[in-house]
Amino acid sequence: MIDLSMIEWGSIEWGDIAFATWETLVMTGVSLFFTVLIGLPLGILLFVTSQGQLLEQRALYRVLSFIANVLRSVPFLILLIVMIPVTVILIGTSLGVEGAIPPLVVATAPFFARLVENVLREIDRGVIEACQAMGIRTHRIIFGALLPEALPGLLAATTVTAITLISYAAMSGVIGGGGLGDLAIRFGYQRFQTEVMVITVALLVVLVQLIQYAGDRLVLHFSRK
Amino acid sequence: MIRIEGLGKTYRVEGREVSALDGIDLEIAKGEIFGIIGRSGAGKSTLLRSLNLLERPSSGRVLIDGEDITGFDRQRLHALRQRIGMIFQHFNLLNAKTVAANIDWPLRCTSSLTAAQRAERVAELLALVGLSEHAGKYPAQLSGGQKQRVGIARALASRPQLLLCDEATSALDPETTQSILRLLLDINRRLGLTIVLITHEMQVIRTLCDRVAVIDGGRIVESGKVADVFLHPRHPVTRSMVAQDDPLTAAMLDPAHAFAQDKLRGTLVRLTYVGDITYQPVLSDIMAASTVRFTILQGEVSSIKELPFGQLLLELEGSDEDVRRVFAELDRHHIHHEVLQ
Repeated sequence: MIDLSMIEWGSIEWGDIAFATWETLVMTGVSLFFTVLIGLPLGILLFVTSQGQLLEQRALYRVLSFIANVLRSVPFLILLIVMIPVTVILIGTSLGVEGAIPPLVVATAPFFARLVENVLREIDRGVIEACQAMGIRTHRIIFGALLPEALPGLLAATTVTAITLISYAAMSGVIGGGGLGDLAIRFGYQRFQTEVMVITVALLVVLVQLIQYAGDRLVLHFSRK
Repeated sequence: MIRIEGLGKTYRVEGREVSALDGIDLEIAKGEIFGIIGRSGAGKSTLLRSLNLLERPSSGRVLIDGEDITGFDRQRLHALRQRIGMIFQHFNLLNAKTVAANIDWPLRCTSSLTAAQRAERVAELLALVGLSEHAGKYPAQLSGGQKQRVGIARALASRPQLLLCDEATSALDPETTQSILRLLLDINRRLGLTIVLITHEMQVIRTLCDRVAVIDGGRIVESGKVADVFLHPRHPVTRSMVAQDDPLTAAMLDPAHAFAQDKLRGTLVRLTYVGDITYQPVLSDIMAASTVRFTILQGEVSSIKELPFGQLLLELEGSDEDVRRVFAELDRHHIHHEVLQ
């Protein structure tokens, strides 16, 4: 148990904590950007190529689905380590904020793609049928009808993914990833500075709450149900 | 306008072939309202979807304006579908778009109109379906009837010659159903639009259709003018659907169930007639000239679409000779009679 009376609040380096928070935000933000950039098209592709959908392609669906499953079944901690050589090739280093981003994206993009696939699957089949009956081309059905219909669900999926990223970003501290996780491990754990651990965890809780709140507001704003 | 020849559709379900449509032949004329009625699972939805190839038939041909559409490539199929409107039981509107944007959607995607021309067309369609004040609302803010009106406006946007209705009123209450049926009738008359609808409700057929086909087990079991099919149903499925819709007809089709047999003494006869004769005292004249006495056991005078009709269940008492003479007179006046017992 943490004995709060033992904490020496005076010794906390607030500058370090502010910088680590900033690093966490950058890692999460940049990773989220690339996750959506890769995961959204992948999710759309998974949906439209699946059975009975607009561009049914069973072979392609199976391949994509298999890749997504493999990536999702590797524990993130293992992925962090396995990805080190790839990250070095891509970025030049596997350390710090930059070094954490590739494994974060590789871990969350397939997760996000699956969420996107599910959100699209929730859309009433009849809406797609109506568009087909109007003689509208498939790409317009996807981008003009399907995605706007799915927007609230896609925003909710993005929120869930952002929160997952916060926690993964903290985990990347284990391999020297930077940010709040790194601070917590180096000071809070290895140097027994319990106060650093308490504050980093508190900050992570606040971050997650803020993201969830903002996400919920956005979903509500775009919901037409 | 539409000609269906030997249309068949089979599905593979768990390795077995299941037949949804089997040897359907139909002809639908330009400008008419044609109804297809059947129980759920009878194949009516598959049949309707074969007309714009949302369902690919396994065999047979679908000719629209003389062209077999089953051989169309993607390009021609898109062009064909743009000439065919379709409305649905659950409306299938885009929830993220306003009423006006929903109606504009097919125009934006498939027409070469400018934004201003499209806006004009949308306003015209909103007025046609009586929703001008609701242009900026979202579908979730509308009632079921209003949603179907948006569906109709959207289906008419690109000026189709054919409108397909997939159980268009089945999710609506009776009053709203009537108003939607009136709107469809009005559109049919004003625009000369051919309408093909599927339904499981005889009442929709009676209100709207010129001709009807009854489908059961993937086959057409009976078809013809609505008044003929309604007043003289032959197939058991048709009889049961007519009976469910109209208890009066049900009693007249099957008097043995409706009346106590021991009270009946004379000849039980069902008379049916359609058209102007409904308003003429023909029966009175015939019976006044005869010694045959009659008792009215059941009767209905109403109209199918705008065609007046009557049907009476009479018990006739008199000599066989006199009764035969009454029958001859009825025939002369085109009053159909059938002796029930």
